[in-house]
Amino acid sequence: MNAFLEGCQKQFSEQSAHLPGWNALPIRNSRQEAMQRGAQIGLPTPQLETWKYTPTRTLAQSRPRFHTEGCVGLDLEDLEPLLLDRREGHRLVFINGLLSRSLSRWQDLPAGVRVDSMANLARQAPSLLEPCLDRFLTGNDQGFAEINHALWLDGAFVQISPGVCLSKPLQLLFVTTAFQEPIVTLPWNLVLAGNDTQAMVIESYASLGRSSHFTNAYTTLMLNAGARLEHLLMLTETTAAQHVGTVQAIQQARSHLDSRIFSVGGALTRQDVQIMLAGEGSRCLQEGVFLAGGRQHMDFHTWLHHLRSDTRSEQLFKGILDGQAHGVFNGVVRVPQGVKQIRASQKTANLLLSDTAEIDAKPQLEIHSDAVQCNHGASVGTLDPDALFYLHSRGLDLETARRVLVHGFAAELLQRVQPAAVREWVAQRLNLEGSAP
Amino acid sequence: MNILELRNLHVTVMNKPILNGVDLSLKAGELHALMGPNGSGKSTLANVLAGRPECRVTAGQMLYRERDLWPISPEERAREGIFLGFQNPVEIPGVSNLRLLKEAYNAQRRHHRQPELDAVAFRAHLRDRTAQLGLPEEWLLRPVNAGFSGGEKKRNELLQLMLLEPRLAILDEIDSGLDIDALTLVAEGINALRSTERSMLLITHYPRLLDQVPPDRVHVLMGGRVMLSGGMELARKLEQQGYGWLEEMVT
Repeated sequence: MNAFLEGCQKQFSEQSAHLPGWNALPIRNSRQEAMQRGAQIGLPTPQLETWKYTPTRTLAQSRPRFHTEGCVGLDLEDLEPLLLDRREGHRLVFINGLLSRSLSRWQDLPAGVRVDSMANLARQAPSLLEPCLDRFLTGNDQGFAEINHALWLDGAFVQISPGVCLSKPLQLLFVTTAFQEPIVTLPWNLVLAGNDTQAMVIESYASLGRSSHFTNAYTTLMLNAGARLEHLLMLTETTAAQHVGTVQAIQQARSHLDSRIFSVGGALTRQDVQIMLAGEGSRCLQEGVFLAGGRQHMDFHTWLHHLRSDTRSEQLFKGILDGQAHGVFNGVVRVPQGVKQIRASQKTANLLLSDTAEIDAKPQLEIHSDAVQCNHGASVGTLDPDALFYLHSRGLDLETARRVLVHGFAAELLQRVQPAAVREWVAQRLNLEGSAP
Repeated sequence: MNILELRNLHVTVMNKPILNGVDLSLKAGELHALMGPNGSGKSTLANVLAGRPECRVTAGQMLYRERDLWPISPEERAREGIFLGFQNPVEIPGVSNLRLLKEAYNAQRRHHRQPELDAVAFRAHLRDRTAQLGLPEEWLLRPVNAGFSGGEKKRNELLQLMLLEPRLAILDEIDSGLDIDALTLVAEGINALRSTERSMLLITHYPRLLDQVPPDRVHVLMGGRVMLSGGMELARKLEQQGYGWLEEMVT
């Protein structure tokens, strides 16, 4: 067994009594079972098809350091660029994995919206979490997720009562600060969108300082009938950090999910998205753009499960790779036997800015039904020399011309982000200002 | 002073000789027309002046304001006042005209050690020019040439030209694909830009543009050389008689 897993088990056996919800039997059971399964299957290795390209070895060999104390003395100024709207925005801010009440701001949320720290909720109202505990993904490639389920310390809880519309985006910000030794954070986030609700949730990860740390996150999105949820995931941790995360969405009838990922961070970033279109008439849009340079490894695996008839999915994922970066996009669209009236479209386009950058882009359609309209496409290209010359001939040097073309490539995805204030903030966080006028 | 002087210019494209000794000079304030059959090397001449990397000068000289152009990068040529209006401008999805214009304009300002214009001042500066070309305001937010008709692309080239105010403008078939109204608009634009400070080289197949933009001189490029130069009467003769008689003259 490797050092990481051993460390997790040790932490579990020594600290379990302090884990949130330990006194509530269903949560305790869920944690114990997850730890057992995690120990059994171990951390994923490249022998698993779904982890073929992800270099988890160094991570597995490191001994984890868990951080269980309250937050350090930060104030809002320190977080300024990481905040969508410092003055008026609603947000839950987590520092080193734990909620900071002083940095968070949710007092004037509309009635019918409940937000809390998962740690607090697990102690005070564990029954709210219970229905979600048996919905976690299972499988022998879920090693990191199992560790999260066993050891999560905190995270964001968002519950929107039926019919409620959240007019402003809600930001969930996870900041890890510099430590002598890299720490591990294990947030579990839960968004419960009631019938016919509307909301935008921005889940963002960032670092203060340049030191290494490991985030192992799991986010559950439950969309009840008719719910419309926009979920925006911003991965902007330092290029020394490691990030493994899963977004799992379960959609009931007529619900709409827009799932967007923007990623620039991490030495290693591995993000899974599992969307279950589990109710008739449900729709999802899944989009992403990642920019990787240096020796970054960014790895995105998405599964869109069309579990019911009359469900639709649309996906567009773009990668921009420079230096010796390695990118992976593996998009599975799964249509089981017997479901009808399915529409699915999947596209991935990738831009290589250097000879040494690499991308493995793999669309994977698993269609077992005839009543399906499905199209897909994958492309990999370099900067168009004619476009480069055109920009040079207008006085732009190589660096500027490249930046303009890269922005142009990303703009298609950025421009769809509404409202403009969010779009501008995203562009700024990705260093893509000017790409979406 | 000659703004542009080409002396015995030889150029290859992918090792194939295209220009075989071009001599041409253009004084400040002059507008010359360059005509010639397809494949005679007109676009190569335009491209080598702008610095397209595929075009290699193998002999001769090209002087811009008495400076040898060959070692100068395309972007520096542009900032020094050379502008190429492309025959087929590329489409750049996702990049707005506004962004391109602003980057180009400020690159030039920086080069000349002038302060850059901020977004508001720049928009105001642009407004007159878009109005002059009859372009709607939202034109600026459209991606560069993406989905533009042939005529729209040419007007877009002209907008860039009007903004950058070069000393030497080389316009490669700016009139192709234009209907009569658009042609008039483009001709008016070019005429408005004529000044004693600015020289222009107009590459065209048709005298109909030259009727509206009278050139100081007309050159005919054939087989990679300037075969003949003259006035407007030369353009008319070519329109009526084609290039056949010139070929006979050569052989």
